[in-house]
Amino acid sequence: MVKKNLSSKSPVKLLEKSITGGLGPGNLGVFASRKGVGKTACLVQIALNRLFDGQGVIHVSYASRVDYIIAWYEEMFKNLASSESLQQAMDIHDEIIRRRVIMNFRQEGMKTEQVLKGLEALLVQGNFPARTIIVDGFNFYMPAAADVQLFKQFALDRQLEFWFSCSLRGDDPLFDERGIPLVLKDYLGSFDIIFTLENERDRVRVNLVKDHDRLSLKKLNIELDPQTLLLAKA
Amino acid sequence: MDARLHQMRNIGISAHIDSGKTTLTERILYYCKKIHRMHEVKGKEGGGATMDYMELERERGITITSATTHVSWNHHSINIIDTPGHVDFTIEVERSLRVLDGAILVLCSVGGVQSQTLTVDKQLKRYKVPVLAFINKLDRVGANPFKVKDQIVDKLGRRAALMQIPIGLEDNFQGVVDLISLKAIYFDGLNGELVREAEIPAELRAEARHYREELLDSVSLTSDELAEALLENKASPELIRQAIRQATIRREFTPVFIGSAYRNKGVQPLLDGVVDYLPDPSEVENIALDLDRQQQPVVLQADPALPCVAYAFKLEEGPYGQLTYVRIYQGALKKGDELFNTRSRQKFKVGRLVRMHADHMEDITEAMAGDIIALFGVDFASGDTICSPGLNYSLTSIYVPEPVISLAIEPVDKISSDRLSRALSRFTKEDPTFRTYLDPESRQTIIQGMGELHLDVYLERMKREYKVEVTTGQPQVAYREAITSRADFDYIHKKQTGGAGQFARVSGYLEPFEGSYEFINEVKSGHIPREFIPSCDKGFQASLKKGQLMGSPIIGVRVVLSDGQFHPVDSSDLAFQLAAQGAFKQAYKKARPQLLEPVMKVVVETPSEYSGSVFASLNQRRGIIVSSIETGLYSTIEAEVPLSEMFGYSTILRSMTQGKAEFTMEFLKYARVPQNLAEELMEKHRQKIEEEKK
Repeated sequence: MVKKNLSSKSPVKLLEKSITGGLGPGNLGVFASRKGVGKTACLVQIALNRLFDGQGVIHVSYASRVDYIIAWYEEMFKNLASSESLQQAMDIHDEIIRRRVIMNFRQEGMKTEQVLKGLEALLVQGNFPARTIIVDGFNFYMPAAADVQLFKQFALDRQLEFWFSCSLRGDDPLFDERGIPLVLKDYLGSFDIIFTLENERDRVRVNLVKDHDRLSLKKLNIELDPQTLLLAKA
Repeated sequence: MDARLHQMRNIGISAHIDSGKTTLTERILYYCKKIHRMHEVKGKEGGGATMDYMELERERGITITSATTHVSWNHHSINIIDTPGHVDFTIEVERSLRVLDGAILVLCSVGGVQSQTLTVDKQLKRYKVPVLAFINKLDRVGANPFKVKDQIVDKLGRRAALMQIPIGLEDNFQGVVDLISLKAIYFDGLNGELVREAEIPAELRAEARHYREELLDSVSLTSDELAEALLENKASPELIRQAIRQATIRREFTPVFIGSAYRNKGVQPLLDGVVDYLPDPSEVENIALDLDRQQQPVVLQADPALPCVAYAFKLEEGPYGQLTYVRIYQGALKKGDELFNTRSRQKFKVGRLVRMHADHMEDITEAMAGDIIALFGVDFASGDTICSPGLNYSLTSIYVPEPVISLAIEPVDKISSDRLSRALSRFTKEDPTFRTYLDPESRQTIIQGMGELHLDVYLERMKREYKVEVTTGQPQVAYREAITSRADFDYIHKKQTGGAGQFARVSGYLEPFEGSYEFINEVKSGHIPREFIPSCDKGFQASLKKGQLMGSPIIGVRVVLSDGQFHPVDSSDLAFQLAAQGAFKQAYKKARPQLLEPVMKVVVETPSEYSGSVFASLNQRRGIIVSSIETGLYSTIEAEVPLSEMFGYSTILRSMTQGKAEFTMEFLKYARVPQNLAEELMEKHRQKIEEEKK
């Protein structure tokens, strides 16, 4: 019998337990940090966790290349498999990869309506059983409140959970006094969960700044392993 | 060196299907005065374009075999090899690439870089072919050459820049602005044959300067001389062309031309580009392997005075017998010369020598290094190297993929049966990816190839060229078997039937292995005499030919032979071979064998509105959707689908998308057949065997 679930102590699960009741269907969550800190690593780990649980995942990307994203999954899977000492890792790999589709929206200024149409085609006509959608590389620096609202409505209608990444840029300060990224202030109503990643003495710590209705900075005992970028107990 | 050499170009025209490649070739022939009337592809005039000369190709509007044709432009002689666009025929593409010195990569100004462009581009890179890009169909709605040029940079990873910008687009496309001479070029006359230079329209001047700058920036990165000249404001058009030529030949830069072959615009400057920027045969390094010196590489010199080395890259059955297309790399080839085929090791005399045009041939008496010509009356296989006596070279053999699909065929009568063997022997000589054998069990002739369409084309050719009527079975996928766990064996082969007996004992284990097969000998202290170890290896290898699940070949096995026993009189080569076979049979079942099937990488390009149906169709076929790339209008969906599920997909895709989607497919890997399906297949196999027994 192939072991498919990650142990309940898996840090991805710890991360989700730190949120009251998890993210949940119909809701949007986001990881925010400057470039190169580890947002994609977090998103991919959440995706892998869902895949291990037997669920489908659609990974929406605005990057220019698909092989780059696939490489992320391969790398994180390898690290996860060795940290969880998975038996028959290749069999599991082949099995879970069936439940992941990468959708790449290449064009600059791709309309969110088009993105959602693409998702709809895959979910409904394509009959692809995804409950979690990862959205990597969405530009929050454009006026996009209406777009995020569209995502929110889509999540509600289809009972999906969406995990975004938000790349922070520009000069400090990037956060307000509650630790909320300034750029996300316009979208507070749409996002149910906001995590930030913070560089702290060569470690990357995870903070929870919005937990459903609660807005307050909570430093979690979770960090990213500097070598593997796996989430780990601090 | 012969001045003629510097005025020679061997080029191919590579492209995505439907990007207008055949129309472009047609126009080139017209402007080079090789044909006197233009035709359109798909036989609007009942003619079909000249290069698509096979009837079948005419009918389907695609080019299957690569005809070569010889034209003159501006005192240069150009051999054009028309390469097929469909992925099922990539062996044809690869063979022609082997003999090219340069290529025109044709792109559609609306579709841009599509999945097949990527395949073709990969091949061009594999054979290190210098490339000019031509963005065609600027008269189409939605034409955007600037976007396509960006795609050449982003998606194909080429350093590229526009050599021209368009004057108007779509319906209003009138001509081009040459960014080196900074002149407008118009194409007048009934068929665009009159090229007229004029001043750049005022409204395009700023844009022309901008793109000229971009071009010069890009090229100067490859040329210090040009970079310096630009700093000093001394860059002459000659110097710029020289720098572009060098960078293109070194494959550091791809000049991008634009036009509309259909509207007779932009073809002549492209031909100038071929002469100006693509290499002559002496500027390309070609390497042969010296078979007399452990296959040491030898660089060939395009010098007509040296001994001859040539390569037969294509065979064709014509009305006057077999025609062999040959590229000469070194030396010269004259009528009456005695040459040597290094594969068959046979001498032959050069008989009739011809230069090929699209639909007629011209007799010649000699040809020299760099030339592409055809020979009559020689018995070659494609891929053969021919040399002057005294040399024993082989040009690196081209990469030949394994066939993935097979089909049983049966001639309907005795006459067909005789003709069939002639047709098959011709096809297998022409195309190494097309294979055939007689199944000893079913007594049926099996043909194998790279895809459904590939085999279809040969069935059609049998009918048309050889008048062979056959009935066909269902296409069969080439299954494999593999073990999944380690299993021990200990087997004694013993026979005592009067006279010399047989005795051999082998023990050890089988285990899964990443490669195809490995044999490890760990027998100590002579329990099996050394001379019988290869016999064991041979016995195990014989067992791999037919697995016990479905009689398919077995892959991925390591055999470790650790011990054994022999008899001084009764042990023999045969006894150990049989012992090994018995041992394999014994251990194989315990090693939990499973059935593997070929899985294809399938890429579908479809207007986005149909992407949902395409997803569904791939899902139904046990496909894994790997990714979907959306560009607004189009979706490119990549999936991994078992080959057995892909039969008839082109028809289904066409009807599902009103013919607007297309797909390519290539072999990816062998993967496990799901349990329930494997059982079904094995049951069918059992029934078939039982029926045959009756």
